[in-house]
Amino acid sequence: MLTTALDYILVLAAVIVMLAGFARRPARVRQVVEESRRPADFGYFLSYILGHGRIVGGRPLAGIAHLAVFWGVGLPLVVIAFAQFPLVLPAGIAGLLSLVMDVLGLVVLAAGVYFLIRRLTSAPDLGAPRRVVVPLLLLLVIVLSGFVVEGARLRLTAAGYAWQSPVGWCCSSVLPASPLLMQAALRFHFFAVLLFVVLLPFTFMRHLLAASLNVLYRDRGHRGALTPAAGVVTENALLAGDRLFDAGQLLELDACVACGRCAENCPAALAGKVLNPRRVVQNLARCLEAAPVPAGGNIDASRLADAVSAEEMWACTGCMACVEHCPVLVRPLVKVIGLRRHEVQMHGRMPAEAVPMIRNLEIYGDVDGRGCAHRGDWAHGLDVPHLSERDVDAEMLLWVGCQGAFHPRYREVLRELVKILRAGGVRFGILGTEERCCGDAARRLGDENLFLSLARENMDVFNKYGVRRIVAVCPHGYNTLKNEYRELGADFEVWHAVECIADLIRNRRVTLRYPLEKSLAIHDPCYLGRVNGIYEPLRTVVRAVPGVRLTELPRNRERALCCGGGAGRMWLHEKPGQSINQLRAREIRECGVEAVGAACPFCLTMLEDGIGSLELESPPRVLDIVEIVAASMAD
Amino acid sequence: MKIVVCIKQVLHTYARTGMDLQDRYVAPEDRVRMIDPASESALGLALKIRELAGEGNICLLTLGPLTAGEELRRCLALGADQLYQVDVDGGAELDSRSKSVLLSRALGHLDADLIICGRESIDTANGQIGPRLAGHLGLPCVASVRDVRLVDGCRTAEVRAGAGRGRVAVVSCRLPVVLTVEAGSAAIEHIPSVDDWRRSRQVPVQRMFFDTAGIATGVLREEIIAPRPRPKIVPAPDCGLDAFARIDLLLTGSNVEKKGEMLVGDIERQVDGIIAFLDAHGFLEPLQSAAGREGVSGG
Ligand code: SF4
Ligand code: SF4
Repeated sequence: MLTTALDYILVLAAVIVMLAGFARRPARVRQVVEESRRPADFGYFLSYILGHGRIVGGRPLAGIAHLAVFWGVGLPLVVIAFAQFPLVLPAGIAGLLSLVMDVLGLVVLAAGVYFLIRRLTSAPDLGAPRRVVVPLLLLLVIVLSGFVVEGARLRLTAAGYAWQSPVGWCCSSVLPASPLLMQAALRFHFFAVLLFVVLLPFTFMRHLLAASLNVLYRDRGHRGALTPAAGVVTENALLAGDRLFDAGQLLELDACVACGRCAENCPAALAGKVLNPRRVVQNLARCLEAAPVPAGGNIDASRLADAVSAEEMWACTGCMACVEHCPVLVRPLVKVIGLRRHEVQMHGRMPAEAVPMIRNLEIYGDVDGRGCAHRGDWAHGLDVPHLSERDVDAEMLLWVGCQGAFHPRYREVLRELVKILRAGGVRFGILGTEERCCGDAARRLGDENLFLSLARENMDVFNKYGVRRIVAVCPHGYNTLKNEYRELGADFEVWHAVECIADLIRNRRVTLRYPLEKSLAIHDPCYLGRVNGIYEPLRTVVRAVPGVRLTELPRNRERALCCGGGAGRMWLHEKPGQSINQLRAREIRECGVEAVGAACPFCLTMLEDGIGSLELESPPRVLDIVEIVAASMAD
Repeated sequence: MKIVVCIKQVLHTYARTGMDLQDRYVAPEDRVRMIDPASESALGLALKIRELAGEGNICLLTLGPLTAGEELRRCLALGADQLYQVDVDGGAELDSRSKSVLLSRALGHLDADLIICGRESIDTANGQIGPRLAGHLGLPCVASVRDVRLVDGCRTAEVRAGAGRGRVAVVSCRLPVVLTVEAGSAAIEHIPSVDDWRRSRQVPVQRMFFDTAGIATGVLREEIIAPRPRPKIVPAPDCGLDAFARIDLLLTGSNVEKKGEMLVGDIERQVDGIIAFLDAHGFLEPLQSAAGREGVSGG
């Protein structure tokens, strides 16, 4: 219990300094609430903080250590706060509480030492700030001094063993019976706590508030949907985004705890590219901290943009591993795309090798520059109805996509899909020459205008034919149509072909008869798996094929490694570091399977190239799940 | 320094998926309105030259209605400063000669130091505009330019140009000069930013009008003769052969074999070769009367 008025004044002063340090946060939060209309999500926040599931998941040891520190600091704080009031607890309960506090102290000590060792031994150049060391040391000092206080108290008051404070009792056995020591230790403990409070906003510990706010005001939109550029003003269908990130994004920057889980799972970082999502976020956060906060909260975009090099931002494959694994809901991917947008929209800079593709999209409406006149050619001889035909009887639109329309291998996949859908009695039609690229690559390469113009063209056609349901075969198109066209008023249902096939198999509308005697692993495409949570249908479908021995790759589902072709990387050159597709190909080889099943045109191409480049004697075959099903289907 | 880039707008037919003979099997989606890729390269070269020179004014010059208006705006957004449009009355179909006369008249008002145009357009592939412009304006012309360096206080251009079979010609000439560029040889590696677009929308289209009457001065008659197959009797192919071989025989049999001779050596020897050929085949009049005519025209 605090004793003198001075103590109260000191506590008050510490809290005031702390609040002053956090002064800019309420403004930011207000902005988040006003700008992005994000209400606080208390339900999620409580389950997040009490359950710690997201923090423990993916890195159990560190997560449990965090859980220990959280409760180890949180519970004593509550107890101390209550101790300021003249409450009298029954002796048994008070003793139990004391025991719990004692044990928690020990646990915090262990966890603190663990964290300290981790931080001191981690590579310093990857954006992990050392400033976490000071608060950790302070925490250890607080715990140790607390034990000394307890020990000294026991030495002076209690005789013999005290079950309520086993650690304090241990300490008391080595401490002299000195009231002075107890007083000194108590003051030291008290001042250490005050210092900790004062330093909260200025050290790593600010994540207590920043991360909590980020979780509380999390973006509840679909994670696969990039939002339009911040501060967008439309003028002749052009965007004038002088702001790089919206308030929500800035809030995220503060929240990053530099744990490095994003980098651990980032294919670019794993392949030794310049990109490291943790460094990106940390550099931006540092920049943000150094920037004065202008009225209205707008930060000069170029200041932030300079914090990240062009090479870094163009190395991202948009795989969303960083978003998936971040314990505090930071989305490094969205920062990277924001930076790309800034680069493209504000400076007109883009890797030269991507410019022809962008021109193709502008002129011909597809990534290959083949022209929409040829967009329906893949279906030649199949007699697939166009939605424009007057008496067409279609319950859904088959979205073909640029790869399905023009990539030689994927055209075949499309033809197989037609076979499967027909066998399952699905009535579908295509848009033929009226379809355009969905705009995924343009948007993820930062060309927001181009995305919007392509999307609008497609939306007009959807509206013209009153499209209600779509089945897409490319996960990128699937995600874009499903999640990103909403902002343009889309209200149709979108299925991925694999979901559709799984449904047909479940309802016994297609039967798979011919066996595929192979050991097969599934490569989870990022835009199906992490982005849209579709993991099981792929496995359900493959399991339904007789003879297939399904194995899992070491990195699968949420942890699956990207093929390297997303976010426009399909059209960019591989710069320093290994090729990401070779990295994945090696994993597949090590798994020893005879075939690998994917469900994405980019994965198919990238993995085939990657496996081909390993020059194996009997390389695993790369198959699309649609092909596997078609081969096994009863005629 | 003023650089004029002649931009050709084309209605590029990249496919024939139509069903109608009347429309020559061209469906609406088979065509795109675009800037000719060679003209785009011409703009790329102009931008490069300006960047090296550190200053300069790039004017776009186009002929006829603005059918690819948005793409022209994009050219402005990429860095061009002005847009001139030569209006053509009555939407007349112009041939290369008339186009070049109209363009040269426009150029007469623009006072250009460098005139750059595409070497050969994607639609007609005539490759005549550049040389004809140079002819009308009395300027030197370098074709298939790849690189230009301005020296001598921007008064002389040192040009590297393709000279066929992988050779490169290095030409030095006084400005003004007409340069032609092949498609894809000077790719523009950036794209317009939002501000560039905004700026481009503020650039006015400056219209120029020239009467097309009397354009064809000096040419009395011009007739385009469509290619005609020259029939040749081919014996019926051996019916024991497979289909491919028979078709192959029919096709090769109907080719008119042409005998030819490759002239080698330096320019003088090649010219001697041509004269000898023309002489041997009776295309040349006796030396006497040729000299006489020369005398007349000289007088
Ligand atoms: S962005 Fe998230 S995962 Fe990455 S370092 Fe920061 S807190 Fe960790
Ligand atoms: S999206 Fe993927 S490649 Fe991009 S930063 Fe995140 S983890 Fe790395």
